[in-house]
Amino acid sequence: MKSLSLNHKSDNKFTSYLFIIPFLFFYFTLLVYPFLKSFWISFHEWNLLEVAFNPDAKEFTGIKNYVKTLWGRRLTWSISPIHIFICSFFLIDYYGFKKGWWRKSTFFIFLMIIIITFILFGIHPSERGKWFDKRFWNVLYNTAIFVCLSVPPITIISLYLAISLNYKNKLMGFFRTLFYLSSVVSVAVTTLVWTYMLSPQQGIIGHLYKIFGKEPLVWFTNPDLAMPSIVIATVWWVIGFPMIVFLAALQEIPSERIEAAKIDGANALNLIVFIIIPSIKRTFIFIVLYEIISQFQIFGQSQLMTSGGPGIETMTLVMYIYNTGFRDNEFGKAGALCVLLFLCMAFFSYAYMKISSSQDN
Amino acid sequence: MLFTNKADKKGYIISVVLLSILGVIWVLPLLFMASLSLQLNDRLAVNLLGPLFGYIPYPFTIDNFIRTTRYDEVPRWFFNSLIVSTISTLLVLMISSLAGYAFARLKFYGNKLLYGFTLAGIMIPGEAVFIALYTLFADLGLHNTYISLIVPNLAAPIGTILMTQFFKSISIEIEEAAQIDGANRFEIYRFIMVPISIPAMTTLAIITFLWTWNSYLWPLVTTQEIDMFTITVGLASTQESYAEDVIGNLMSQGIISCIPVIAIFLIFQKYLLKGVVIQTK
Repeated sequence: MKSLSLNHKSDNKFTSYLFIIPFLFFYFTLLVYPFLKSFWISFHEWNLLEVAFNPDAKEFTGIKNYVKTLWGRRLTWSISPIHIFICSFFLIDYYGFKKGWWRKSTFFIFLMIIIITFILFGIHPSERGKWFDKRFWNVLYNTAIFVCLSVPPITIISLYLAISLNYKNKLMGFFRTLFYLSSVVSVAVTTLVWTYMLSPQQGIIGHLYKIFGKEPLVWFTNPDLAMPSIVIATVWWVIGFPMIVFLAALQEIPSERIEAAKIDGANALNLIVFIIIPSIKRTFIFIVLYEIISQFQIFGQSQLMTSGGPGIETMTLVMYIYNTGFRDNEFGKAGALCVLLFLCMAFFSYAYMKISSSQDN
Repeated sequence: MLFTNKADKKGYIISVVLLSILGVIWVLPLLFMASLSLQLNDRLAVNLLGPLFGYIPYPFTIDNFIRTTRYDEVPRWFFNSLIVSTISTLLVLMISSLAGYAFARLKFYGNKLLYGFTLAGIMIPGEAVFIALYTLFADLGLHNTYISLIVPNLAAPIGTILMTQFFKSISIEIEEAAQIDGANRFEIYRFIMVPISIPAMTTLAIITFLWTWNSYLWPLVTTQEIDMFTITVGLASTQESYAEDVIGNLMSQGIISCIPVIAIFLIFQKYLLKGVVIQTK
């Protein structure tokens, strides 16, 4: 019967293509083509203003933009906290391989990427050395730190909320709406609200400090607190999506499994660690990857709350691309940074794509 | 899940108490914004330092909203956002459901390959193409237009993937019945598949609308004229040049900018939550 549906007399090739051409047209011209054009731009010396007046003002310079961005003089190698984070990529790589999301060759390619990343993050200028681009590695480091600081609380809080909310009644429906509400507002609203919430004079946190007779914290200009303040705003903003996804996954765990564990005398913590998390492992990894990818592209929060400051303490990669392109007008270098952004995320994006299109649970 | 049996009242009460505490923390920032927007700027300076930290809007006033909508660019930005989000949503619905239907049901040369390409689009981070996209629209001279604000939203593959997965889950018999009655492909699509897919399309519409309304980086890059700002970009620009003494106005702008999305969320949340789940399958 299936063949009848697929080979209808009015179906010629032309009809079928009419259905997909509108989508493919926009997809290729506005996503694939610009993506490939980023590579092309990155091989040029390309000043935005000059090119605007004279389209031939760009000059092919090969990999010069990359060398200027990545390289430096008198470099040495040592361990930094980021390395612990990079080691955790290996777990995802290995798990995906075991699950059959990718083949052995892909596993080894990922392993190579992980090792290269591991080495790259330890390279820094020694005594009198310097980077040719004084900012790039600091910016990448800031972005990685931001991801490290924001993804664990997002995952843990949303999982906790999902487990607590997993009853089917009106009250829990109300709580679910309430916790999702912050996710529907825009980044501008988030930063507006949190700029005042964290303000030492006007914010409630500052008031609480005063009530207990302490000096309120000055969040945005303190180098140790600027990044955490962005993390707080971000966690508040994005918690809704992972919570709902976890909630959906929890509802598919057979209740006998939980009951059996309870009869064996498991307490709540045991249940979470030994029953719930293993049962929703795929969703768990999905969320971690999704959050790493989306938090790596943080832009609005750091631009609007701290403008990258103090110094370049909270400047992140996308914000650096934006500033390079639209403040310094160096489009060639901005293009190179876009390519590097894509390469930084390639491992996560590939794993994310595989896990999104795999159907098993 | 943890405490499903009714006997476990204690566990239930503990989670309700903890959730209430967290819930208050979660909703406090939005309440803060709402109550500041309902107080006059000169009263705010006093109220913020008072015992209630400005959380109770007393004396109550809606002057901020009146001033914001009368003198500032806010209505214009709001209108821009409304146009951009609505048109983007309608176009995304059309394009994605057509392509989704073809990928799920039609047999044509390159179906698998093109769908593979579409899936691979997930790997391209949206924030990695805006530099090249800028040069593209600059060559066409289309910056500061509705076209440049709307059209890039149509390129995202997620809508098509969502619709493909939805159409694959529908049984094939209903289409076969229509074919025997002599309907052609477009008729089947228009009169059978579109009505069936209304729940999935509602979900996609809400996701797209919220996404477009809230998108920040691309509208920021493509609009230089203040008249073409979307409300998100406009709010961000006012925020950057804010003065301490107009905080009430600023907050009323914030409230105005999130009224439509919050309203849509509250009305259609059932669909939104369902769609979030389809996305992950």
